Amino acid sequence: MAGLDVGYLAAYALSLASVAAFALAGASLAHRLSISLGPGRVAGLGRDEMRRLRTGDPVFLMHLSIALGVGVTIADAIIAPFMGGALLLLDIFRAASVPLVAGLVVAFGWRVQRYSQSMRIGRGLGVTEGFASASATLQLVLMGAIALTTSELVLLWFPALGWADLLLGALRNTLITIYYARPSVNLIAKFDRPLHSIRAPFNLADVMAGKTDPEAIRVGVSKVSEFPADQSLSFDSCVEIGACEASCPATAAGRPLSPRVLVRKVSLLSRTGTGRESEVLSSVSEDELWSCTSCGACVASCPVSVKHLDLVYDLRRELVSKGRLDKEKSGMLANLAQSQNPYGFKNSTRAAWAEGLGIDTLSSNPKAEYLYWVGCVSSFDQRAQRIAKALSKILKGAGVSFAILGAEEMCVGDPARRLGEEGRYQELVFQNIEKLKSYGVKKIIATCPHCFNALKNEYPQFGGEFEVVYHTQLISDLIREGRLSIPPEKVQKISVTLHDACYASRYNSVFDQPRAMLKASVDDLREMGRRKEKTFCCGAGGSNYWFKVPQQESIAGIRTQEAAGTGAKTIATECPFCLSMLDDATKVSNSGMDVRDVAEIVAECI
Amino acid sequence: MSGQVWVYSESEPVANEVATAAAAVAQGASAEVRMVDIGSVRPATRGSGGRLLLKGPAGHEVSPAVAAEALARAAKDLAPLAVLLGATRDGREVASRLAAKLGIGCMAEVAGLASDGQGMTGERNVFAGKVVAKVRCQFPAVATVKVGAYPKAAAQPGESQEKDVGPVSDQTKTVGREKKPAGAVDLRSAKVIVSAGRGVKKKEDLAILAELATAMRGALGCSRPLSADLGWLPEEHHIGLTGVTVKPDLYLAVGISGQLQHVAGMKDSKVVASINTDKDAPIFQASDYGIVGDLYQVIPALERALAARR
Amino acid sequence: MKIAVCVKHAVDEAELKIGPGGSPLLAGAAGKMSTFDKNAVEEGLRLKAAHQGEVVVFMVGGTESKKTLKEALAMGADRGVLVTADTVAIDALRTATMLAAAMKRSGPFDVVICSEGASDTYTGQVPPMVGELLGIPYVGYARKIEIDGKAAKIERSLEDSVESVEAAVPFATSVVSEINDPRYPTLIQIMQASKKPVEELNGEEIAPAGSRRGVEVLSMSSQPTARKHVMIDGSPDEAAAKLLDALSKEGVLK
Repeated sequence: MAGLDVGYLAAYALSLASVAAFALAGASLAHRLSISLGPGRVAGLGRDEMRRLRTGDPVFLMHLSIALGVGVTIADAIIAPFMGGALLLLDIFRAASVPLVAGLVVAFGWRVQRYSQSMRIGRGLGVTEGFASASATLQLVLMGAIALTTSELVLLWFPALGWADLLLGALRNTLITIYYARPSVNLIAKFDRPLHSIRAPFNLADVMAGKTDPEAIRVGVSKVSEFPADQSLSFDSCVEIGACEASCPATAAGRPLSPRVLVRKVSLLSRTGTGRESEVLSSVSEDELWSCTSCGACVASCPVSVKHLDLVYDLRRELVSKGRLDKEKSGMLANLAQSQNPYGFKNSTRAAWAEGLGIDTLSSNPKAEYLYWVGCVSSFDQRAQRIAKALSKILKGAGVSFAILGAEEMCVGDPARRLGEEGRYQELVFQNIEKLKSYGVKKIIATCPHCFNALKNEYPQFGGEFEVVYHTQLISDLIREGRLSIPPEKVQKISVTLHDACYASRYNSVFDQPRAMLKASVDDLREMGRRKEKTFCCGAGGSNYWFKVPQQESIAGIRTQEAAGTGAKTIATECPFCLSMLDDATKVSNSGMDVRDVAEIVAECI
Repeated sequence: MSGQVWVYSESEPVANEVATAAAAVAQGASAEVRMVDIGSVRPATRGSGGRLLLKGPAGHEVSPAVAAEALARAAKDLAPLAVLLGATRDGREVASRLAAKLGIGCMAEVAGLASDGQGMTGERNVFAGKVVAKVRCQFPAVATVKVGAYPKAAAQPGESQEKDVGPVSDQTKTVGREKKPAGAVDLRSAKVIVSAGRGVKKKEDLAILAELATAMRGALGCSRPLSADLGWLPEEHHIGLTGVTVKPDLYLAVGISGQLQHVAGMKDSKVVASINTDKDAPIFQASDYGIVGDLYQVIPALERALAARR
Repeated sequence: MKIAVCVKHAVDEAELKIGPGGSPLLAGAAGKMSTFDKNAVEEGLRLKAAHQGEVVVFMVGGTESKKTLKEALAMGADRGVLVTADTVAIDALRTATMLAAAMKRSGPFDVVICSEGASDTYTGQVPPMVGELLGIPYVGYARKIEIDGKAAKIERSLEDSVESVEAAVPFATSVVSEINDPRYPTLIQIMQASKKPVEELNGEEIAPAGSRRGVEVLSMSSQPTARKHVMIDGSPDEAAAKLLDALSKEGVLK
């Protein structure tokens, strides 16, 4: 039949060549960057895709439709001449084509919508014409690839047009060879890199020990060529999908930042004029970099594992090294240097909240099972002190042995690191680790997700290995194990919606625990659309609590509106920063909602 | 002739305060007070002793450099025990230069001045007002007197004296002088700040707080929501972590809940008073005085009480 | 342009501890670069950026104060001069004398920049004294400095007025905090600054005190700083009257 046709054979050869070209392009890039594309990595990626799919994110559903659509059509193209008629395999492909076409059509629709959105955002950010046309090209290529794949799947039902199917496939494969080999390799290389990982450009202990010459340390990045190869790969892998921009709180608030535009500007910079020797800050503004709240929504939503935050941190470090800081930012860093807390309070007064509450310090009770790491906000903010008091009440009620560091506690370092002052951050880290080790601390509880994330995920990098739990984890365990009981009559008759903190939920997958706490302590829990690992920032992260950036509306205001939309009267938070931001926002909007930490709500029930 | 204690300030009201301080020193040292004028006599200056006119420099207003040189020349001849000046910005400069020219000690911004006959003692705030230091300096000595620490001296007649110090030239030239605009928001240097928070229901209501601030001779500040979110006041009024850091003598927080964001910007105020409807508002923990009440009743009451006192 | 900047390693009043007798514990107290001195260093660096030359930082202090000198060098100053002396025991004129002597040794300087006063003792005396001792024009409380060739135009920020003053180079000045936003040196930059040259001079050797006694500190006592937490009750009028009474007793009512 068709298999003997010369034209068909030519189309088949073309199709095979295009598949081989894609495979070769990927393999050679991976080889150049020493990235393993082994079956283990690919299988791991498959599992991770399934995990992301389960979060119900439509972007991943579409992403999967595209990936599977491409996979099915390539497989069909390769084995078509050998199927010899109506075989089972073709039926399977045809069956698969139905949902895939549906997914691709949805994806195409979303692309059209993103196209107009991204052009509008680009105009708002004042991108150049060159940028806009490069941006349009990539988005049209993506739409083209989707359209071609859809057509191929449809043609599965028309065997007589097999040659056309092959030709369309060859064209699509050529497109993906040119545009998607890099993102594919990047995805396989980085899909499992945790959101919380940050590059440490030096280790302060080595500097102190004389192993590293401080003169040789380069903290920020000024030229494109200075980015580590894997970071460049990440930025150059952006294909303008726009999922980052769609989930970014800064973009939503009308701040001068879109993660897509930021990454693409840097990537395009290396292909124009002075090339890789271009100064990155020549095309990126300071406000753009300070607008980021480090909430991680961009990175978590990127289907091809672009790590936007790496870029933000490296460029913030550059600004800090160049002394390009306003009073608020430099003041915060000076406070950290001088008072070991970012507010400039006398650090020895940080345990004043605990006076008269019968709370041990480690120096008075070094045998305590847990160290409660209070954090600066709950130490110094009169409002947030109620979180610390609530947790203490709960722990005492459940008979958990704990103590605090008291005046010996210092800032965990997170604000310095997110602002880009890695040295000050590491100085605090090493001082804290030394203190914790001197008391033989094994287990730590935190009520601030920034402290929690640093202690749990970053301190080990500097030799501080502790078992770190978030207060919601511990309290929900206490409730489940029956060590903390909430009698039915004490369950509060209030409607509550939970605002997940980025650094607990998205960064550390802690989101079921605060819900368990609320299910045990209130009778009406309502959910916002953006929740769990897809939560929406309060606006304080990435050290944004300490400075201001131009914006059209406040991020906390957007979030508070969303919370009000559930009809709940109370917003439950699990982070002292979120508490502060949302509390302010409810006052501004006069919504009459009250904002409380989940620990406070539980403590009121016992 | 007994020893003299000289008083000089470029500001007449301040000179009259310094005269009171000088009287205390003169009494301990059995000396006489001399109110010093440079260039020409300023009729309004009062004081318990006599007057001393230093002739030579021209004009009514002399620069700190000229004043210091004139005083130094006269002091070399007349050997006063002490020269007291007001601790204004110009006064500090004159005193420092004079002390350097004469090679003698200079006490800065002192109150509680006294003399044991051989020298004088005074008290001054150090370490951001957390510590009072008692300082002493052997005669002859120079000191600047804390502004506002002494009442103005009553006018008393006394003998007048003149001294020609010759022409004094200035190495610098003042080419312009402008009043700082009245009512300008200079929260950093304000002594009294009335600060508004979200307890204020609408923008128009800020007027009553502005009135109170004026009545208290202070400036109007606010917490972040009012400037950053609601835009009721320009950003330069915003006190807090992301705004201005202030340390006035009196901070009156009105309808401010007292989040760290705000408290971090005013924690070094000398005295904090707050008014809030919520008795559990965190601001009370950061206050010396608290009134639980509706600002719309308490503020007018404060204005009435202030008016009654003046 | 040769620029001299004076800095002080001041007591960090926020971290100051009070002894049982009520006197502050100055021995071993935490120190920091005096707040406004950062503005002085920044202004020096700004002038250097505009007119080339070098910025030399001068400081009178003990060895513990080198931290502050290093910070100034990390901000961008070229070299430092440390005049060793016991800063607690000496008065402003003595400090100024040592600074002026040190500057004469490595000068002459075109511009000498101090800050309006130290954040711990705040006498504000050293800057005009240094100007006087160097015998150059002095313009204090500058909020803006412009130099064109040998002519300088300076805006002085006084209590309720702003003066424009013209002076010729060389001159000395003190700056107020509104003049600029000082840059923050990173920890790594401070470590890197260790390699910049610092000359150490003995204060007593370069400027012998002789028999002069100057201003002596007889005693120091702390004032209560904790908040009082007094809640005032009564009708609005009663509460207002009680509050005003309390405030006037505190001496904070103008």
